[in-house]
Amino acid sequence: MRICNRCIYDENTPGITFDENGVCNYCKMHDQMEKEYPTGDDGWKKLEAFAEKIKKSGKGKKYDCVIGVSGGCDSSYLLHLAKKKLGLRPLAVHFDNTWNSKTAVENINIVLKKLDIDLWTYVMDNDEFNSLAKAMLLASVPEIDALTDIALTTTLYMAAEKFNVKYIMDGHSFRTEGITPIGWFYFDGKYIDSINKQFGTDKMKRFPNLWLGTWMKWLLMGIKRLRPLYYVNYDKEEIKEFLRKEYGWQWYGGHHLENRYCAFNHYLLNTKFDRDFRMVENSAFIRTGQISREKALDEIKKPQEYPAELISEIKKRLNISDEDYEKIIHLPTKSADDYKTYRPTFRKLRPFFWFMYRLDRVPKSFYIKYCK
Amino acid sequence: MGRKMIVIIDFGMGNLGSIFNMLKYLKAEVMISSDISDIENADKLILPGVGAFDNGMNNLRKLDLIPHLEKKVLNQKTPILGICLGMQLFTKKSEEGKSTGLGWIDAETIKFSFQTEKNNLKVPHMGWNSVKIINSKSLFNNMNDDTKFYFVHSYHVMCQNELDILTTTSYGYDFVSAFQSRNIYGVQFHPEKSHRFGMNLFKNFIQMI
Amino acid sequence: MLQTRVMPCLSLQNSKLVKTIKFKNPNYVGDPVNAIKIYNEKEVDELIFLDITATVEQKKPSFKTISEIASECFMPLTYGGGVNNLDDMKTIFTLGAEKIAINSYGIENPSFIAKASEKFGSQSIIASIDVKKKFIGSYEVYTRSGTKNTHMDPVEWAIKVQELGAGEILLTSIDKDGTMEGYDLPLISKICQAVNIPVIVCGGARKVEDFSLAVHAGASAVAAGSLVVYHGSVQGVLINFPSKDELKKYGLIQ
Repeated sequence: MRICNRCIYDENTPGITFDENGVCNYCKMHDQMEKEYPTGDDGWKKLEAFAEKIKKSGKGKKYDCVIGVSGGCDSSYLLHLAKKKLGLRPLAVHFDNTWNSKTAVENINIVLKKLDIDLWTYVMDNDEFNSLAKAMLLASVPEIDALTDIALTTTLYMAAEKFNVKYIMDGHSFRTEGITPIGWFYFDGKYIDSINKQFGTDKMKRFPNLWLGTWMKWLLMGIKRLRPLYYVNYDKEEIKEFLRKEYGWQWYGGHHLENRYCAFNHYLLNTKFDRDFRMVENSAFIRTGQISREKALDEIKKPQEYPAELISEIKKRLNISDEDYEKIIHLPTKSADDYKTYRPTFRKLRPFFWFMYRLDRVPKSFYIKYCK
Repeated sequence: MGRKMIVIIDFGMGNLGSIFNMLKYLKAEVMISSDISDIENADKLILPGVGAFDNGMNNLRKLDLIPHLEKKVLNQKTPILGICLGMQLFTKKSEEGKSTGLGWIDAETIKFSFQTEKNNLKVPHMGWNSVKIINSKSLFNNMNDDTKFYFVHSYHVMCQNELDILTTTSYGYDFVSAFQSRNIYGVQFHPEKSHRFGMNLFKNFIQMI
Repeated sequence: MLQTRVMPCLSLQNSKLVKTIKFKNPNYVGDPVNAIKIYNEKEVDELIFLDITATVEQKKPSFKTISEIASECFMPLTYGGGVNNLDDMKTIFTLGAEKIAINSYGIENPSFIAKASEKFGSQSIIASIDVKKKFIGSYEVYTRSGTKNTHMDPVEWAIKVQELGAGEILLTSIDKDGTMEGYDLPLISKICQAVNIPVIVCGGARKVEDFSLAVHAGASAVAAGSLVVYHGSVQGVLINFPSKDELKKYGLIQ
């Protein structure tokens, strides 16, 4: 099997090409992003420039930005960066999909308390989320936790609108999370809605779906989205240790385990869809010098470990018997291509979204992946 | 399988569900029963209890459990853990009632009485209180003086034999909060309601031979 | 030393957790079982769950919810809301609750409190008393989730429930509920001075120091709602509980 000479994406990765040196196009994408988002002094200057704009737009308001938090390492660090280092006045925003681990909740608590940052949450209804989750499972698509990704995005916009804030920040970092292969994880509001209409048992009531019309309203209101960690030299292990010492932040014992439903999604991606996101993350670590290629190749050979209780909890909460679970897991795989999505509309609106990307109102990754 | 069966004796008194839930959480083999054959086949027993002494003794008699329990506990030396009223039923008698107790331990049950209006101490003794571990073998293995349990009772045990005392607790004065005589254990507090402290105690009971 | 008990007092509506302000405008806060898992971890002393619409909507207590809650709860659990007969009480105890709080039905039928206390033991019966301040400054007891004014003096009623055999009183200030303005300390003093049974106070707690003030006013135990489900000035929902260090700092634990 052919593997990139630099990272560890292999030939089965969708959309992959190799150059004459055997280096893949995803590595090139990473290098492009490195140029566009410098770290060190240049990166810091950019962050300070953004901070000035944010402070200016926030004058006279209770908060000048909203930050999405999960209790995880990245968003916790972002809170520290925003308040302590950039002197901003953030409002932390959280979407509770009802599957938070206790550690995640405690992490949010201690970091917000120590930094004296307020919190705004949207709490999902247990039963409704479980029903949507079951529909996603029955639809046999890989992105079952698109529910949380979409809902968090909507929640951030709702908070921005409510508190008249023009800047949304999230803790995404391409240097640690990597560049998701094309088609590995697609999500939009219509996709989820189509699946619910086909496999769900009820209309969405409390679920904060991101409808295109509402999203466009927010875009036209001028709400911007920033990813400050793009400008920071980010060693994940160092950051975890820093958060632990400074705030008493705790590791939740396994990647993605801060939220058990998210962890289950990764379990599913790995087992049913043969998509190991460790390949994506470790490739990012290689490109940024956090791990060697040899070590990374070893890492992904190890079996993924998940607590046994995870599967039994899924079955219990989603009300699925052992037999039905086996049937569902073995359904033929489907994807966003099999359901109605906004993608054709995104593509039609490409010029509009290019403009939005240039105005920092949609992330670059969205424009590249969804509109082209 | 090799795992030992713990039977929680159902004699109509007490919060069996909570004890069952905690033992299940600790992955023990456990059942609730008033069936004589279940009790005879048990590897360990728990006698729970919330309520009045006389009611407790009467219920045990009505269900004809006493002779079978005596055989299990006194002859076969099956470990038995009495909780709250259960612990008090092991004693010879109680100021709360007229009936005699099981008399399996040289002790009696008396009411809390405070000589003076000490700190306005209310009865029942209700809430979280710490235990002073006198003897840390068996039930209190690996526990320190930080250990607290949930108490709710108006009467307490007085042991004749000091060597039977595992822990004392202070409420106006020091009283016996846990005892052990051979295979017979009693705790005045509710381990099933004392989260990790109770879990540690049950773990010790489960692992005991 | 017996510690002061510090506990969450949570409201249920249709088996979901809600938080009210002055007993009105219930705000959805989440699933009770998710909350308990976190409170278990925090080793809270006790938990109180009150179903705030059972009596008003004439519904039976939800045994399914009580069972789910009790099976996750490794500390003493009190359930209240819509309790009006001994058989239901027996079921609730069997499901795993330690204590039951009686409110509306107890005022409408005081002998019920006596019967319940005799059957189950006074230590498992809590008389739940909801109080509102009158215009001129005195207090009155309300029932049915604060919708019915009994015009009774809470001190008189507190003495009565003690006589009837309640083991404890849960005293809630409707005016302070959800406001995070601090407990109604004069009300607490009045009631605690009048009775010998323990009084758990609820309504208005905004920080740990308030617990200490309530204890000095005579409370045997303190309960909080908003404080343990919200964070920050815009009240984002986040299940939390004061740390042991904070409780030690204000003398609530040794």
